[in-house]
Amino acid sequence: MSNPNAPEWSKGELGAELVSAEALRVRVEELGAAITRDYAGKAPLIIGVLKGAAIFVSDLIRAIELPVAVEFMAVSSYGAATKSSGVVQIIKDLDVDIAGREVIIVEDVVDSGLTLNYLLANLGARGPASLAICTLLHKVGLQETAVPLAYVGFEIADDFVVGYGIDVAERYRNLEGIYAFVGTP
Amino acid sequence: MAPHSSDDLSTHWARHELGEVVISAKDLQAKIVELGQQITKDYQDNPPLLVCVLKGAVNFLADLMREIELPVTVDFMAVSSYGAATKTSGVVQILKDLDTDIAGREILIVEDIVDSGLTLDYLLRYLGERGPKSIEVCALLHKVGLQRVEVPLKYVGFAIPEAFVVGYGLDVAERYRNLDAIYTFVGEA
Repeated sequence: MSNPNAPEWSKGELGAELVSAEALRVRVEELGAAITRDYAGKAPLIIGVLKGAAIFVSDLIRAIELPVAVEFMAVSSYGAATKSSGVVQIIKDLDVDIAGREVIIVEDVVDSGLTLNYLLANLGARGPASLAICTLLHKVGLQETAVPLAYVGFEIADDFVVGYGIDVAERYRNLEGIYAFVGTP
Repeated sequence: MAPHSSDDLSTHWARHELGEVVISAKDLQAKIVELGQQITKDYQDNPPLLVCVLKGAVNFLADLMREIELPVTVDFMAVSSYGAATKTSGVVQILKDLDTDIAGREILIVEDIVDSGLTLDYLLRYLGERGPKSIEVCALLHKVGLQRVEVPLKYVGFAIPEAFVVGYGLDVAERYRNLDAIYTFVGEA
């Protein structure tokens, strides 16, 4: 059902607000504090996966009280191949060598875990000192492979969600909160 | 310039490399709200594609897009300096191009900082050849007095003097992008 309190420009395509901007802010602070504690004395490299994680990375790094560095990767789906095996095409790779580095991959949503599993294998082969995952959202019950998630913002049901970086056909990334999408994709 | 106090918990890890706060987190956020409102007004009928140049502009983009009350879309470019060639002509190597066809689109390039204007001028011409309907620039910081080419800046957050600044996406050797304010850098680069 369409959410009457959603921004006017969303034209009735948004349903319930699943995570409010305030809840996001509080949780991101908590995740930042946990990373600060867990990596005390270190300088982890934060890898954001474009485009969905851009807002989350931006807020998360500001909540980490350590001299972190930031990198971005852009990946593209191979369609059926990505769906079955998680193999993606790397459109933009890292600018830096991660051998010996403490690496944290930052994702917006983890569902099947297949693509993330592929990224872990790909980056793991480069010899980082450690490789952990921080995901904002974890869609429970969809995992096809066990991926260790060191940091999870929120566990959500298998809903079609948008906002806070997450899109449907490139729309709604700029919403401050996360909403169920009830329009036609 | 007096080093920032090491008692300040927000920057205790900065090892005295930071000088004064040039723009506070509060002032950044207030200005970004203003910019977002202005962009919302100016693009009411034609929501723009925001083009973010990695990596420095990501924080600015993330905050700015949330203040625009329009169905904007977002794309990213990564560029790399050619060293001397970039310094004199602004020509950069495109490491990651746009995913989107921009023909007929309203384009707003989101930049962290503009100084000589050469690279931005190059990007404007590079993207301009693809036939966008319009192409404009929104820069968080404008270092005044360094322009070597006239670049039209439709939106500017703050004009700042020529100083080495870090924070809010801006780095020195990849450090300090995660500060929530902008500081002068007084360490060894």
